[in-house]
Amino acid sequence: MAQHVHDSLIYDRRLRPIYELLELGNNKKALQEAEKLLKKMPVLPCGRALKALALLRLGREEESNTLLKALAEEKPSDEATLQVLSFCYKETEQLEKICELYKEALKKSPGNDELLAHLFMSYVRLDDFKSQQTVALQLYRQVRGNPYYFWAVNSVVLQGLRGPESSVPAKRSLFLALAQRMVEEFISQEKIKDEQEVQLYLSILMEQGKFKEALDFLGGTLCQKVYPGAHKSLKIDLFKKLNMWNELNSYLKMNLRSERDRWDYYKDYLTSCFELAKLNDTTEENENNILDNCHEFLCQLIEGGKRVRGPYLARLELHKRMRENNMNAKELLGDFADLIIEYFRFFGDKQCCTNDIALFLESISRDERITVASKLVRDSGISSTTLPQNKEQMQKHICSLQLSRMCGSNIGLSQEHLLALYTALRLHYEHGLSAFGQNLLSTDMGPSDPYSLLATHIMYDVAAEEGKSYHLIEAICLLYYVLQNSPSNFHAKLLLLKIYHFLGCGVGAHQIYESLDIKHIQLESMGYLHCALLPATGLVSVAKSVYDVTLSFFTTSYKERLEYIAMAYKYGSFSKIEEFMDFRDRLSNSLHYASTSAEQLLLELVCLSGALWQNLNTYKMMSIHPAEDRIKWNELADNRDLSVVVRWDPIDLIDHNEKQNSFDQDIECLQIRSHLLRLVASFIDALNSHDKIQAENSNEGNRNTEVLESLKTSWNEIFKRIRSKNFTKSSNKFLVNLLPSRLHAMLDMPYETFFSDVAEFLIDLSINFQLTDDRVAQLNGNVSKVQTILCDSVRENNDQEDNIWNRREIQQRIVSAVEILSLYAFVLSVCHQKYATTPVQAKKSKKKEGVQKTASENLSQRIIGLMRHLKQELQICDNELVLWKQPKFHTSLAECMSGMSLNPQVESSVTTKVSDIFKENHLQTIKDLRNIIKDKIRMVNK
Amino acid sequence: MTTLRPFTCDDMFKFNNVNLDPLTETYGLAFYMQYLAHWPEYFQVAESPSGEIMGYIMGKAEGQRENWHGHVTALTVSPDYRRLGLAGLLMNFLEDVSEDKKAYFVDLFVRVSNKVAINMYTNLGYIVYRTVLEYYSGDPDEDAYDMRKALSRDVDKKSMIPLLHPARPEDVD
Repeated sequence: MAQHVHDSLIYDRRLRPIYELLELGNNKKALQEAEKLLKKMPVLPCGRALKALALLRLGREEESNTLLKALAEEKPSDEATLQVLSFCYKETEQLEKICELYKEALKKSPGNDELLAHLFMSYVRLDDFKSQQTVALQLYRQVRGNPYYFWAVNSVVLQGLRGPESSVPAKRSLFLALAQRMVEEFISQEKIKDEQEVQLYLSILMEQGKFKEALDFLGGTLCQKVYPGAHKSLKIDLFKKLNMWNELNSYLKMNLRSERDRWDYYKDYLTSCFELAKLNDTTEENENNILDNCHEFLCQLIEGGKRVRGPYLARLELHKRMRENNMNAKELLGDFADLIIEYFRFFGDKQCCTNDIALFLESISRDERITVASKLVRDSGISSTTLPQNKEQMQKHICSLQLSRMCGSNIGLSQEHLLALYTALRLHYEHGLSAFGQNLLSTDMGPSDPYSLLATHIMYDVAAEEGKSYHLIEAICLLYYVLQNSPSNFHAKLLLLKIYHFLGCGVGAHQIYESLDIKHIQLESMGYLHCALLPATGLVSVAKSVYDVTLSFFTTSYKERLEYIAMAYKYGSFSKIEEFMDFRDRLSNSLHYASTSAEQLLLELVCLSGALWQNLNTYKMMSIHPAEDRIKWNELADNRDLSVVVRWDPIDLIDHNEKQNSFDQDIECLQIRSHLLRLVASFIDALNSHDKIQAENSNEGNRNTEVLESLKTSWNEIFKRIRSKNFTKSSNKFLVNLLPSRLHAMLDMPYETFFSDVAEFLIDLSINFQLTDDRVAQLNGNVSKVQTILCDSVRENNDQEDNIWNRREIQQRIVSAVEILSLYAFVLSVCHQKYATTPVQAKKSKKKEGVQKTASENLSQRIIGLMRHLKQELQICDNELVLWKQPKFHTSLAECMSGMSLNPQVESSVTTKVSDIFKENHLQTIKDLRNIIKDKIRMVNK
Repeated sequence: MTTLRPFTCDDMFKFNNVNLDPLTETYGLAFYMQYLAHWPEYFQVAESPSGEIMGYIMGKAEGQRENWHGHVTALTVSPDYRRLGLAGLLMNFLEDVSEDKKAYFVDLFVRVSNKVAINMYTNLGYIVYRTVLEYYSGDPDEDAYDMRKALSRDVDKKSMIPLLHPARPEDVD
């Protein structure tokens, strides 16, 4: 007891402040406090553990490791020390050491249930299901609580489904059968208490295909008692699995009578009808009978109360499915177009009507779609001479216009026609705004906003057809005008974001991005809209800040990933455990995460400036480890939400492979980018270890050169492989299409030869200590080529009448050129330090000293020559960037706005704002790029 | 026209159309994960026929004895799917789950300025139980209404007798 009081006093007075400092991230102070404490109580394990944690977080890994190792050898057993050590191991990803820690502690106090629970969780973090099972059963024997027993059951299930033996069918069944028996033992002893336990049992039965047993159990008293809210969907699922179509049919009819708006029920109900029709008899009469009844039932639901969308949509679905089955839908249900028009008449004033009807457009031919579209527009009652009389009519009109674009009505129209349509939409927006859009809350969307969104898409079509930016800029102005009126319309913001990036205007994009307040998981699902496009903009400071925020989300989630599954065990939510595992993998292996990490490191290398020792320090802190490829290429996940940007593009022209294609290309792009990073790192490592070759003739130098050689080989192989795939650029037919993968820029720019030649140069240098005339000419030629690309690109853009439309691609070339030269500058500066400042000392033969000395002086001169050449070319680049012309705006931009509003101040403020943003973007890009170049000029100034 | 189903982790990758709405907060990952791990049955999503997320509700069960109740943590419906009765559908679901758990009542907090929401909850049978001062931080801080609806276990509807004095945020759980 006395000891206890003593412990808690130490904790309160001494340790807690250190915990708090660590929590606040004040690691330096925490370390000081820990050291102070350890002076008084040098052996206190928890104090030392906290010191280790503080050291670790300060980046002093070696010291921390020494301390950790010593502590682990002492086999601590007090809760607090174990906890802190676990933290350290989690942060260094040494998860198996946590298991060891608790195993040892348990030897000192066998059967301690808290330690056992920690040990269990430490196996959960490792996906070690077998050990989980053992520990859970120990826990159960100790404590006799249901949860622990079910931890064991679930661990058995996981061995069957995901364990090392799960691919062996016999083993799989064995594990699942064991899990089933374990639960049944509990059932027979009437020990089941919790709905999650029941759910786990049901899922064990389902995994084994024992659907009948599952259904019986679901209807049994135990399930009714413990799990009264059992999902109807589970029962429906089981009926389907068991082909119990009659039962399914009546069950759903019963449920649909009380819930007439459940789409999931209707879909399965219709399936049951078609299955019954197939099953019952092959005679057509019977078949019709069942579908007649189905129709009859839907009509009853239509008439049975307040008008809801459900039964109407179900009738459309019935029509569609009958046609798919070559049945005479028209005879039973009438003309499909008429049904759609009817639906539109009833529900066209709801915003969701467009999506509802869109569901069925694919089931009819293009011609039929065009007919439907014109009927819908006519039915909305608005013609070129009339305006909507009320909000409902306006919404119907909007719906008909959206659908008619989806049906393809905008396709093939002349430019004049499209521009007239644009003008009409803009006027409708204005009218809707003044008639129905007054006194809105700042959080509301304007009821007529969709007109402008549609108008934006149309303006993109016009601009894309012409290959000119003018009309797209007009659309930007329109969208800003919309945002003045409804500042939180995120659809308008997302379209603006798309347009800005399309036109290579990163500054505009970033302003909009900030106003969207994208955070947490959205950084992943929407990162493709901004973060992933930043490398091509040349905006260094913007890119850095967005990468930082994005990566901090990913690293936090990566750390936390270990705890979610443990949490699900803690609360006994077994139904979520597998889902959490999949989610963990999807997030940890995110392509966006891997790409952003690579981009951040590359950008950091590109931006290096100042003293060489500082740069080498920075480089060391980046811990790149070129020899290891940390990316799990086969498990990369695509978590982008492409549906977030609103579109109504013609359904027959939408490329359904777009997402997959861009994902494939982006993976290849990452192959090149991450390889580039490792290759450059291998240059630096090889150069850094040249010293040691002389000093101790160590293996490290050889190994680094080997790494460099093998990376050089794979660098060329990657390019060869990717080029042979002949990837096509995405089309950007519509505004919402993804921009072409950066892969193409990587292939078009001379990355491959440039860095392959640098690699050969360094290999030659490290093995033969030589730099030949040919090599010098080759390297200098490469540099000049990159310089020419940059200067030509600037001139090309300057010569264009419309220097905005192609700006993105040109800018991307310029940024790549700066990147190539900057990385080379850093490599040369390291090279210079090794070979040109301290002459190579050859100890082998004193006689040859004179010869050696001249050779090394010669080498030194040549390296300096390379630097001078690079400096000259960088200077030329810098001069050219100064001459890069501002974006030119069409003189009539102000005029285009004049039709938009009665308030002239609004017009001029919007147009000025837009042209200012483009100008600012231009200046900022040049400034950021020139800063990089100037730093590099200083870096190679010898 | 709706499919109601449990919210899954993957839904977080595609709930943007709902969460970009300025009145809907996007929380840190840990927050959603905690709800999914602890009260999975209370986290439901309404999906449109085309598979879009129309809205979702997240909640929990908490409290001791007669304070054992269901709590609505977040309820949101995408701007494109408003005025279709979705919020009511989701609230019914949460009330049913709370009934199954034999809770006494369901409660929720709402900004006093959010007239639309207050109106909707009132139509669903909720009353303002008390005001919580400066519950929402911002500039300026905003008060919240703590709204409640009794479930069948609270036969005398004791949980719905309004308090006359406002509470401080630290006094409510």
